[in-house]
Amino acid sequence: MTTMDRPDAPPVRTHKENRKWVGQSIRRVEDPKFLRGRGGYIGDMTVPGMLHAAVLRSPHAHARITGIDAAEALAAPGVHAVITGAQAAQLCDPLPDFGPDPAKHTWRCLAVDKVRYVGEGVAVVVADSRYLAEDALALIDVEYEPLPAVVDPERALADGAPLVHDDLGSNCAYERTFDFGDVERDFAEADVIVTDRLRWHRSGGQPLETVGALADFDHATGELTVHTNSLSFTSYLFMVAGTMKIPANKLDIRPVPAGGSFGSKLFATKPAVIAGMCSREVGHPVQYLEDRVDNISNCDHHGSDRVYDVRLAMMRDGTIRGIDIDTVEDYGAYIQFGVGHHGNALAQVVGPYAMTSVRYRVRAAMTNKNQQGAYRGFGSEVNNWMLEQMVDKAARELDLDPVAIRRQNFIREFPHFIPTGNVYDSGDYDGVLDKALELSDYKHWRAEQAKAREEGRCIGIGLITAQERSVFSATEFWFWFDEPGAPVTSMPESVTLKVDATGGITATLYSCAFWGNSPETMVAQLVAEEFDCDPHDVAIVYQGSKNGLPATGPGGSRTTVMLAGAVEGATAKIKAKALRAAAHLLEANPDDMEWVDGGFQVKGVPEQRKSLADIAVMLHLFKHSFPEDMESGLEDSKVFDHPYTTMPSADRKDLGVFYPFMGHACHVPVVEVDLETGSVSFLAYAAVHDCGTLVNPRSLAGHIVGGTAQGIGTALYEEFVYDDDGQLLTSSYLDYLIPSAMEVPELKIGHHETPSPYTLHGIKGGGEGGRMMAPAAINVAVNDALAHLGVRVTELPITPDRLRAAIRAAKSRESG
Amino acid sequence: MKPPPFQYAAPTSVAEAVELLGAHADDDARALAGGQSLVPLMNFRLAQPAYLIDLRRIEELTRIRTEGDTLVIGAMVRQSHAEHAPEIAVGAPLLAEALGYVAHPPIRNSGTVGGSIAHADPAAELPAVVLALDAELVLAGLGGTRTVAAADFFTGPFSTAIGSGEILTEVRIPRRAGGHAFVEFARTHGNFALVGVAAVVELDGGTVARASIALSGVAPVPVRATAAEEALTGTVPDDASIRAAVDAAVAGLSPAGDVHGGRETRTDIARSYLRRGIELALSRAGDRR
Ligand SMILES: Cc1cc2nc3c(=O)[nH]c(=O)nc-3n(C[C@H](O)[C@H](O)[C@H](O)COP(=O)(O)OP(=O)(O)OC[C@H]3O[C@@H](n4cnc5c(N)ncnc54)[C@H](O)[C@@H]3O)c2cc1C
Repeated sequence: MTTMDRPDAPPVRTHKENRKWVGQSIRRVEDPKFLRGRGGYIGDMTVPGMLHAAVLRSPHAHARITGIDAAEALAAPGVHAVITGAQAAQLCDPLPDFGPDPAKHTWRCLAVDKVRYVGEGVAVVVADSRYLAEDALALIDVEYEPLPAVVDPERALADGAPLVHDDLGSNCAYERTFDFGDVERDFAEADVIVTDRLRWHRSGGQPLETVGALADFDHATGELTVHTNSLSFTSYLFMVAGTMKIPANKLDIRPVPAGGSFGSKLFATKPAVIAGMCSREVGHPVQYLEDRVDNISNCDHHGSDRVYDVRLAMMRDGTIRGIDIDTVEDYGAYIQFGVGHHGNALAQVVGPYAMTSVRYRVRAAMTNKNQQGAYRGFGSEVNNWMLEQMVDKAARELDLDPVAIRRQNFIREFPHFIPTGNVYDSGDYDGVLDKALELSDYKHWRAEQAKAREEGRCIGIGLITAQERSVFSATEFWFWFDEPGAPVTSMPESVTLKVDATGGITATLYSCAFWGNSPETMVAQLVAEEFDCDPHDVAIVYQGSKNGLPATGPGGSRTTVMLAGAVEGATAKIKAKALRAAAHLLEANPDDMEWVDGGFQVKGVPEQRKSLADIAVMLHLFKHSFPEDMESGLEDSKVFDHPYTTMPSADRKDLGVFYPFMGHACHVPVVEVDLETGSVSFLAYAAVHDCGTLVNPRSLAGHIVGGTAQGIGTALYEEFVYDDDGQLLTSSYLDYLIPSAMEVPELKIGHHETPSPYTLHGIKGGGEGGRMMAPAAINVAVNDALAHLGVRVTELPITPDRLRAAIRAAKSRESG
Repeated sequence: MKPPPFQYAAPTSVAEAVELLGAHADDDARALAGGQSLVPLMNFRLAQPAYLIDLRRIEELTRIRTEGDTLVIGAMVRQSHAEHAPEIAVGAPLLAEALGYVAHPPIRNSGTVGGSIAHADPAAELPAVVLALDAELVLAGLGGTRTVAAADFFTGPFSTAIGSGEILTEVRIPRRAGGHAFVEFARTHGNFALVGVAAVVELDGGTVARASIALSGVAPVPVRATAAEEALTGTVPDDASIRAAVDAAVAGLSPAGDVHGGRETRTDIARSYLRRGIELALSRAGDRR
């Protein structure tokens, strides 16, 4: 069905057997520093002369700024500067924006003549302390002319809605319908069309430390140095220099551990720009660290917020033919990443099921809310939820077993191209399902469910099988447009390995500050695998953006796969040099030598051997022992490009390969619903994940537990609630509820390993899986508990209000 | 999220504290107890007291004692101390049970019994408990002390009978016979409850001799479920009489909604938890017909 010829896949790799370190649950090498409080977060950083910034937030959802009087604030004790939005617009250009038409929905570090959501910054104060800065905020007098707010995405798209951006002319920032495969035929031939309307409300990542930056502009050199807990990736940071109106080679962004990101610190440039702008104005280092209200209301990283109207074309025997998805996404007031979230959805839009067609209509609505950014799953988790609710509904309508209908539709041949053009590299969905059925004690719980029902208790089992895409391609950000503004195709990641004179290894990373994942552990294990050393002996350093090698940073579960490729490449270069050196020292033919247990030796002659340390000391200190052309030292780098992406077709009927390393999981929560209160509690929870070859099973289990906890939050608790006037009702943790250890059940975790044919060791990404599965599974479980009462919940989070309303409605239907 | 500037004093006696309060009455002086409600409010700048009088060094307010049939709890007794104090386990087990629902252990280590009552959050546990137990609150001011019945103490959300220049010094709880129960529904563990129920039921030969039931979270102040108390008293409790009592109490409720639960949901939950509270109290009151 594609209208283009598919380029060849990369060569299929054979994977090393008898791995020594890859696959071991070693202790994370990051742990000692973090557990000792030596991680060095932004809040821990202090430098001589450092000042503090605080941002004045808009109390209005939508208002014109008609005047700002900052004189009193400027005169307040300890205040060095007050910068209003209008002044900031002179000092800085708009923020980096990958949205559809940035000139028509311009995003700046502070609002200029209009505020578009509660919490948007209107001015910043720089003072000796954060206390004094906040005191001064209270003295700034802003005159607002309130405008009507629009907070519902569908109403935003209707005629006559107040405009969030006048220049855009409507509140629709993007609209397009894509057909993949023969949609018309699949729907015409279907026996049954299952339809539903589903609503996913917004939540977001909640890092322990919020986003912050410590910036120091040096007027002597014109250089700006920024320490920030966002990313330091070289490949796009020149855009921040552009915003600051400085040359890219005068900007150095240095990574600081994120204290949790979950996506929410991805390309978080606003705090860095605010701190940088302030530092340049006052001539001191300036720290700007969001407080919790800043973060919740103004972080630019709210998660997905979707309305779905879906149709599923089914055959009576349970075969799924195609899916027709119409979605409206509430992006909030800006749209910095465009509709990339839907690229994520399209990467695995059909789930593990072999359907042949997809219609996808997406409309991006602008509303008076904080904008969306990234949150673990980046929109694919919403698709997983939608698809599993549809399959579940189909099973009920066709009276099929929920396990059987899934198994019946599983894709079993790989590599498999789905209708959108993306490839699933490998998989074993039956294997995962079998393991999950056993691990979850599925049969036992079905029996318990039946027993409980006789006692009037409502137990539900939520089996879902869903995809976990990994390692994105930049094409997903622009294949939306026929004439994209910036059709970039590079997503590299780099590593430098240095073997010092004693044989010690240091790895330099170029983008991956610790932000909840474990890049240091991954690299340490991968290096140890290559060099037969102890991973805890590998030193890891981070290079700032200045002089950094090309790097794109974590995101889309790419870190481990990309770092592995870079480590492999750098290792190959180092080993080539070490081999030549060893052969020279042993007066042997390099072709007769092999790498064995940490050194090169003549094949079959273990006495004829040079360890890596032997070679390193010679290469560092004994120049005259080598041929003239052999340079001193033992260090090399690899810029590793994405191993498998292809271009979209011109007509966009085939989007190319853009998320090829496809993980899979089966989650089985068992819940009990309290009908009287509308609350949901867990009786058991099992999860089996397949992320290809495991590097560290324990750290992956950590991802699964953490992601599932977040998924429980999404399913039951977490929601940024805006009222009809656009007031944010959940601006602190009193009202934005996060599940704690008391709400999250103990998880039974199983791993299944289906290696990728295209990556080192067969690794796939696994950083987002828990959250990509849990909301779907919990919704299915709740509906399973209540199906006999005619209750079906189609909206997340499932709060007592929503659940009680559904139960009351079913009761009144029954009696009425 | 930093508070505006304020003055601070840490007196060591009640007399000194009320003197300071009196002297700074014009400065918007406030007592500081465990700081677990006041300090967040100051950080959000919702409260901006100019003068803080820290009660934490006042020894005499940190004691628990028994006077005859009355348990006397100093206002500055920490919540976690009270939760595990043997005198309270014996003299007011309802209070001990309720304390287990107040926030999380680290917050209870700082938060005080008096602070929670003085703060008078409509969703808080302890105000409902003192109301159910017909406790008395002792207030000290420059002019001496006075005692206010719990029924007269809570005057609105976050407001009480404590006058300006006064501090709460003691909570006096009469010993009650019968079975007690504190139950509540909160969306997440340790968060404020949507509905809390404090109940004490006394049986006499299988008949309810006396019932005291208070609810939190359903009105601007904690309320006695008088209709349920009356409906239960004199009955031999069974499912039907309990349901009747619950229905009677719920009929009089009109809780305000918020993001955690609208009016209907709160009413539904109040109905459910009233029943659970009464049943639990009855099960502890001795044999039930
Ligand atoms: C995360 C979190 C969760 C919480 N959850 C709950 C919960 O579930 N249930 C609950 O009830 N509470 C909860 N709280 C509040 C907690 O219980 C507080 O400890 C309590 O409300 C106030 O007690 P405090 O000693 O900290 O008083 P403070 O915060 O110091 O003072 C509170 C107010 O009372 C006044 N005050 C205090 N003592 C006196 C006195 N002796 N005389 C006169 N005025 C006085 C103060 O001036 C102030 O206005 C929670 C708090 C947090 C931070």
